[in-house]
Amino acid sequence: MKISIQWLSDYVDTTWSPETIADRLTMSGLEVESVESIGPTFDGIVVGRVLDVARHPQADRLTVCSVDLGSESPVQIVCGAPNVAAGQLVPVAVVGTTLRLPDRTSPDGTREITLSRAKIRGEESNGMICAEDEIGLSDDHSGIMVLATDAVPGEPFAEWLARNGRASGDAVLDVSITPNRPDAVSHIGIARDIAALSGSTLRLPPVSVPTAGGEAASAFSVDVEAPDGCGRYVGLLVRGVTVGESPDWLKARLEAIGLRPRSNIVDITNYVMFECGQPLHAFDFDRLAGRRIVVRRTRGDSRFTTLDGKERTLPDGTLMIADGERDVAVAGIMGGANTEVSEATVNVLIESAWFEPSGIRRTAKALGLQTDASYRFERGVDPELQAWAAARAAQLMVEEAGGTLVPGSVDVRPVRPETRTTVLRAARIESVLGAPVPAGDVERLLAAIGFGTSEIAGGWTVTIPSFRPDVSREIDCIEEVARLRGFDAIPEPAASRVPHENYRTPAEREIYRRVADLLVGYGYREVYTNSLMRRETAAEFADPVLRAGRPVGAPVETVNPISQEMAVLRPSLLPGALQVLSHNLSHGQRGMRVFEIGTVIDRFDAPDTPIAGFRERTHLLIGASGVIEPAGWDRSERTADAFDVKGVVEALFADLDLPVRFVPSEGAHPLVGAHLRIESGDGPVGLVGPVSRALAVRHDFRTGAFFAEIDLQAVAAAAAERGNARYREISRFPVVERDLALVVSAGQPVGPLVDAIRRAGGELVRSVAVFDVFRDERLGADRKSVAFSLRLGADRTLRDEEIDRVVSRIVTALERQAGARLRS
Amino acid sequence: MPDPIAPKDQLDLLAQEIQSDPLETAADLDAYRIRYLSRKQGRITELLKQIPAVDPSDRKAFGAAVNGLKSLAEERIAEAEARIGPVDDAASGAPDLTLPGRRPVRGSLHPITQARREIERVFAGFGFTIAEGPEIEDDWHNFTALNFPPDHPARDMQDTFFVEPPSGPGTGIFLRTHTSPVQIRVMEGTPPPIRVIIPGRVYRNEAISYKSFCLFHQMEGLVVAEGVSMAELKQVLHAFAVEMFGTDVRMRFRPSFFPFTEPSAEVDIWWKDERLPDGGRWLEILGCGMVDPAVLEAVGIDSERYTGYAFGMGIERIAMLRHGITDIRVLYENDARFLEQFA
Repeated sequence: MKISIQWLSDYVDTTWSPETIADRLTMSGLEVESVESIGPTFDGIVVGRVLDVARHPQADRLTVCSVDLGSESPVQIVCGAPNVAAGQLVPVAVVGTTLRLPDRTSPDGTREITLSRAKIRGEESNGMICAEDEIGLSDDHSGIMVLATDAVPGEPFAEWLARNGRASGDAVLDVSITPNRPDAVSHIGIARDIAALSGSTLRLPPVSVPTAGGEAASAFSVDVEAPDGCGRYVGLLVRGVTVGESPDWLKARLEAIGLRPRSNIVDITNYVMFECGQPLHAFDFDRLAGRRIVVRRTRGDSRFTTLDGKERTLPDGTLMIADGERDVAVAGIMGGANTEVSEATVNVLIESAWFEPSGIRRTAKALGLQTDASYRFERGVDPELQAWAAARAAQLMVEEAGGTLVPGSVDVRPVRPETRTTVLRAARIESVLGAPVPAGDVERLLAAIGFGTSEIAGGWTVTIPSFRPDVSREIDCIEEVARLRGFDAIPEPAASRVPHENYRTPAEREIYRRVADLLVGYGYREVYTNSLMRRETAAEFADPVLRAGRPVGAPVETVNPISQEMAVLRPSLLPGALQVLSHNLSHGQRGMRVFEIGTVIDRFDAPDTPIAGFRERTHLLIGASGVIEPAGWDRSERTADAFDVKGVVEALFADLDLPVRFVPSEGAHPLVGAHLRIESGDGPVGLVGPVSRALAVRHDFRTGAFFAEIDLQAVAAAAAERGNARYREISRFPVVERDLALVVSAGQPVGPLVDAIRRAGGELVRSVAVFDVFRDERLGADRKSVAFSLRLGADRTLRDEEIDRVVSRIVTALERQAGARLRS
Repeated sequence: MPDPIAPKDQLDLLAQEIQSDPLETAADLDAYRIRYLSRKQGRITELLKQIPAVDPSDRKAFGAAVNGLKSLAEERIAEAEARIGPVDDAASGAPDLTLPGRRPVRGSLHPITQARREIERVFAGFGFTIAEGPEIEDDWHNFTALNFPPDHPARDMQDTFFVEPPSGPGTGIFLRTHTSPVQIRVMEGTPPPIRVIIPGRVYRNEAISYKSFCLFHQMEGLVVAEGVSMAELKQVLHAFAVEMFGTDVRMRFRPSFFPFTEPSAEVDIWWKDERLPDGGRWLEILGCGMVDPAVLEAVGIDSERYTGYAFGMGIERIAMLRHGITDIRVLYENDARFLEQFA
């Protein structure tokens, strides 16, 4: 909200600069986002003393003056004003100053000039002695401005103006008002805090508030049929106004805070709202049917044209202001076109009401119509302010629009708020803030912002002012005291106790961290992708294949997305990773490996979901595409394939000390090519393989893309259960290596052969490595050779016969299972 | 104890490998030498060592076979050296060490993770544990229990993505707008004393720009115990700022408003910038306050006996400050040229 410093000065006296005010407000809870100077700044204008005035030799109407500007020697200035005289103190624009001079011939009425050293009809002139209109102070052009004797030659003119109480321009604060400060949405509200902070007194404009009843009460009536929505309705009648432009001072104030002046009547209602925070509405009294105001709710949907000319559909139950026949305003939000004040208006009914905040908020939301009035009503206006504000507006209408106030008023008040009090304990202040606050400070600070205190044992009974609906409890009062003292006044202890802590960090978190570190070590880059994606993408990737064959529910859609690009939550991390790979490969990278640890979400009933029906799982995605080993002096370039990612998965499970099995998948799939299901512990936890050709083509992956998506949450839970690794005594006995070359059919997968070797070899097989696979004509067209390197060992020295027996058992098993024969 | 003797077919297999292993590059050559002839692990060297242990009747034949393998390997090495040229410096016999080393491929942690871990590290040092919660939340945890009354303007502070629109006050399921609901979940499940930090992804339905993205990450802190005060909150956050931004950090606590804390403050640190007239400016880095008694009561904690404080910060904001990043969107582009700067 914009706050004019000049306007504030009506209510509080302070010697603080606008910057100091901004800083003090900010540090007490009203954050000032900017301070902007407006109006003339008087840069380059200084006080001068006219030492001598001589006639200009070439021009009758000009004089040549010698002017003391506070420097060593006086300067010569040619002046055309009739009233210039020796001894005067005057404002002087020095050489280099830019002025906006009045000029009727230009469109905006001014013309900009920058003063230079000049010769005027042959006489040198170093600057200009100014009239009030030439420096934007007023329209006065009768002669140069003559200053009082306290002016000092050489001092900035702005300082003299300020010293003499003539505002030299204005500064506007942009204050960010938090929702808990309905009292601060006005100049008086801000002034109250400044007065409290600076120790000065808040000064309110004198207003004579008419008593309810009288002539006004017989001129019109008010019926509140919906007391739950309208706690108070004050009406005042001003007759005989002349609707026209507002006076300059009023226009200037509204313009300073960014409002466009409209007409004197409307401007006055706005002025009073920004002065005290009470929204007002002015009806053209003669257009109110039956001289009646009724506050009621709509029944069923109805239509209404607001004064911005828009026809709006009002939901059932909308709080309305009606006259004897029809609706005339949406209560608390906007008036109607049918009773709007116009140039023809003569008699004005001023509405000053208190509407229930949440109802106004609901209606404003439903209509999509936020106004200065609704903003204030939904935060809660002071329920005691209505009569004062209406009287203040009426008084201004009398003064500035030539109206006459009809004596008395109508003040309907179905709900009269009770005085609110709370107990404030000194000990509680200390326990919350961590340091005691002197009793005198508590009383003084609370009193300064309108709170009453009366002492009781151990504290006070605090009376809460009506303009602070946000305050009701002890803690609220503690906050008020703390913010006005400033949080800087709270000392930091030298040490804090570290009490026992009941909440344990879930063990999975540490696993996630280890997995990320391992993947970085394997050469993969961590990425963060958007959880929100297109609906079509989410539907496509909500596929059981990406959950290792386990069921997946429907994607979770947002009902109010920012855009169709970000509408649905990701059911898989794969689409995000593919986008990252594709982005990088099309932006100069020849290859890329990435991983992401993130949440995938679907609609699924799982036992451990915090919000029923919505499942969240932490997944790990590993992806690689393009050149994975660049060419070097010792090797040639290599592009990524499925074994790169599979190898990472193998290493990862080994590093986590978890078993892992890879089970080949059957059949074609639109998302993935021939792939492996990753199994560990109870069952499938992920998959690894290439993306389908169709996806590769769509993303322009020329050498394919390879990935693994893993339910990391399940893996981490298993890893966390492993606990500390158990020490196994290191065998003192030698390990024997045996190589085994077998010929099998070309279509025989190697993985099951490794499993068979382990099974047949039993405990003696310490490791099995595949070190060669090749095809050769000599082996036969549909045959291939697979060479294994076995390491055999036991807690004793193996004898040759034992080793031969194991090897032959392995060979027999492979013959039986895969028709393998030893290569000769 | 010598290794058992390799049977004949093993020797044949080895001969085949010695004959067929590729020798195209200097690297191949080096690897080949090591594989077969290195003094410690060469496969031929191993066999040579075994000769004395072989039964005398077989020893001669075995020795001849092994030496045959050795000559075969040496022949191939000689042939390859002639073809590729020795890598060794001709004069000294030492390798040319000015060639680039074989670097492991470098991965990288995302700067958001790095900032998150740094914050976690600092608070872990103060005895905080880590809690997490769901990204999809209900109204109770995200708003109502946190003292955001239905139809209160405080709700406008956070624009919400709905998953299931509200059907009345206090209903609706949506993407959480902050990590504060995890405060509620922790307090619902754990009696005080509690001292946790809560990292997580949150969502705001706001226009995307250089300073705001539709999602970001927060780090929340919550302490509930007997005798916890605002003074302690200040001390802990001051200690945090010193760890994150250096011992000369200037910070200020500015009163503010959050529905779930009272008193509430925003914390600014002085960010030096020589180009600015004041030599720097105040930058907001986090919000904090004393847990509102209404929040404690909502989860059944006695607010007379226990007090608490909470704080929250944007992890992206911290990451951006640490690295001088000025556009939040670049964090979600994942361009390698960006990521590699934070390895």
